[in-house]
Amino acid sequence: MSLGTVRGAGLAPAAEARTGPTSTSPTARSLWRGGRGALLVALVVVLVAVGGVLLTGGSGGGRPLDPADTSLSGGRALAQLLRAHGVRVTRVTSAAEALAADSGDSMLLLSDTSFLDDEEAGSLAAMPADRLVVGAQPHLDVLAPGVTSKGTTRARSREPRCALPAATRAGSAHMGGMVFGAPSGAVVCYPSGEGPTLVSYVNEGRTITVVGDGQFMSNLRLAEDGDAALAMNLAGARSTVIWLVAPDVLPQDTEARSFYDLVPSGVKWAVAQLALVVVLLALWQGRRLGPVVTERLPVVVRAAETVEGRARLYRARRARDRAAAALRAGFIDRITPRLGLPSAAGPDAKIGAIAERTGQAGAHVGSALYGPPPADEAGLIALAAYLDMLERQVRES
Amino acid sequence: MALTGRAALLALLGVFVVLFAPRPGLAMAGTALLLTALIAVDLLLAAGVRPLRFSRAGDRLVRLGETATVELIVENPGSRRARGVLRDAWSPSAGAAPRHLTLDVPPGERRRLVTTLTPTRRGDREAVTVTVRTLGPLGVAARQGSHRVPWSVRVLPPFLSRKHLPAKLSRLRELEGRHPSMIRGQGTEFDSLREYVVGDDVRSIDWRATARRNDVVVRTWRPERDRRVLIVLDTGRTSAGRVGTAPVPLAGETARKRDVYGATAIAPGWPRLDWSMDAALLLAALAARAGDRVDFLAHDRSVRAWVSGASRTDLLSTLVNTMAPIEAELIEADSAGMVAAVLARAKRRCLVVVLTDLNSASLEEGLLPVLPQLSSRHLVLLAAVSDPQVAAMEAGRGTSELVYNAAAAERQSAERRRITARLRRHGVEVVDAAPEQIAPALADAYLALKAAGRL
Repeated sequence: MSLGTVRGAGLAPAAEARTGPTSTSPTARSLWRGGRGALLVALVVVLVAVGGVLLTGGSGGGRPLDPADTSLSGGRALAQLLRAHGVRVTRVTSAAEALAADSGDSMLLLSDTSFLDDEEAGSLAAMPADRLVVGAQPHLDVLAPGVTSKGTTRARSREPRCALPAATRAGSAHMGGMVFGAPSGAVVCYPSGEGPTLVSYVNEGRTITVVGDGQFMSNLRLAEDGDAALAMNLAGARSTVIWLVAPDVLPQDTEARSFYDLVPSGVKWAVAQLALVVVLLALWQGRRLGPVVTERLPVVVRAAETVEGRARLYRARRARDRAAAALRAGFIDRITPRLGLPSAAGPDAKIGAIAERTGQAGAHVGSALYGPPPADEAGLIALAAYLDMLERQVRES
Repeated sequence: MALTGRAALLALLGVFVVLFAPRPGLAMAGTALLLTALIAVDLLLAAGVRPLRFSRAGDRLVRLGETATVELIVENPGSRRARGVLRDAWSPSAGAAPRHLTLDVPPGERRRLVTTLTPTRRGDREAVTVTVRTLGPLGVAARQGSHRVPWSVRVLPPFLSRKHLPAKLSRLRELEGRHPSMIRGQGTEFDSLREYVVGDDVRSIDWRATARRNDVVVRTWRPERDRRVLIVLDTGRTSAGRVGTAPVPLAGETARKRDVYGATAIAPGWPRLDWSMDAALLLAALAARAGDRVDFLAHDRSVRAWVSGASRTDLLSTLVNTMAPIEAELIEADSAGMVAAVLARAKRRCLVVVLTDLNSASLEEGLLPVLPQLSSRHLVLLAAVSDPQVAAMEAGRGTSELVYNAAAAERQSAERRRITARLRRHGVEVVDAAPEQIAPALADAYLALKAAGRL
């Protein structure tokens, strides 16, 4: 056994290993095998989504009481019923269209007037046609003069309890919503606890009917109770229904040409090309040369941490008694063999021996070694220094 | 596949084309198509990565702190020149350099690429993957793929204490018959008879032999040989604590820039386990030279390593190979199991050197109750690495913080002294030394035992 052998262990003869195909990159076949499950799931999801959309028939956003809307809140069913009974249904989306569509024997059905301004509401109110105002409308005082809103009530099946033929023939209907205060001479129907939910009266030669809620006319409720009959009686009283709904797209201000309109199209395309450059840069820099390599490392913990933790605990609790006891015990452990005393020697023997060797007063040494713990931090520091001094003197004596 | 900076540069040139072209939309589509075509052509003409063949050669063993070279031989069986970059990835603590190698292998030829490893910790370091990126002739796009070319390098303990070996060996020779001893000690055995020369101790004259011859004959003595030494390495949690200053830069050291309290960072040092291994190696080298049989056992809750009956010439290489992959486990060592393992393996009386820590809590609950079983049949020597940081704290004075530190350190030292005294009462030899001194101190303790004939 020699050092040479040790060195030999460190530098073994060079070895060579030959291997066959070693590639770990996925082949096209393995990509297909690994990905076909996910691909199948994605295909099924797409098929279900497409099928669902086709089957529900584009319910769209759901525009309440729109004669062209087939969703549950729409009014397509009522419009079809009206057409089947020979009533012409004209869908309009602005006050001007409504005015143009007036043929003399018309019923103006207002289900949404929130997009009208005061002027347009006034022009609608001036139309000679009968009016059916459905639900809460912002221009109620203009469109139905004399009718006031007195709060709301729950929509449910209610009895007519009035002499209006349209209501009595229909019977009970799903009514509620707004509760009205009627002008004198008006017929009030479908009363709730707070008041009537249908008011019909004649104003300047035209019949104005106000209904608290339009749900009974919707596709959802039309088949219940006498809803269909009531809706037909109210809306189909004339040969034409002018049905005003909110426009599909709210008109916008197209006056100002923005800065972007003035920029030549070449710059826009160049910006798009720059975005492509950024994508290519990202692809260039983002492609890593091989995987990140991880490793299980041993724990890094300093052995002195427990001692440091104990010191911090002493300091946090101001444990001067324990600190002083540790310092004294360490001092006595080191000094006893130097004094030539057995470790079992009593305190008095140790104090005496130390006082003799160092020339310090015995009482002083005794209080430093066996006295009460220091009263404050300064006392502790002084005690440590005094013990150091004693140890040095014993060593040098 | 992978793109290069040239692809982005070409697209950037396209920006000017698009900016000034009369039909910018068409121009953009045109540049995109052109770029795609260039990338496709480059990818098609780049050398394939999959058919490349790899093999390795080089070092299998390296001592911690030294540098190993591993060669990667790339063979290109294809018909196109393989040009690009190659990354030979190793685990981070293998310290592989350079990170990227330049690859240029003409068709049908092979090239040798050299990676140097400067490991930062012991154990087996594995090559992970070889990733190759071959550029096309235009340098716009590249093919990329990985190969698995396994190779492992075993990083051995550095055996830094071998510098103490010559001094200890000369001490041993003094004990041994090279300088025949006239002193008849307890631990010596009869060596030979020789003629009396002036100066020999008259008490060693063998009168019976003198009577048979015409000459005065004296007896010579030499230390006993063919004793058994069993080195037991505790790999439990107390061995994971780091002490001293690491002689080689450590993995994980740079990650610890700052202490929890924002104070100046203290280098975490080396685990007690590594210092213990160093001491064990010096002891093994010395004992093997002294003619003793050395066995080795590493134990925490189960036997982690066992070396027995290694011949004197290859004992050290067997030991470093066995020690290399051992790491301290963060579990409490099972001392009863360790004693049982020692008793099961050591039938004859031997010197059991236990390398552990003088941790009063774990020793009182673990080793002390079962120590009599061991010390009644064997001579037990317990070696522990003390923490120089604690010794430095003991000397702190002046501020209350330093004095509290000193008190805590004193308390730790008092516990060590108390447990040392208890162990000595059980007849156990205790060596407690700082990290740099533990190996020579353990060797000295062994030589002292040998001189006293207590083996």
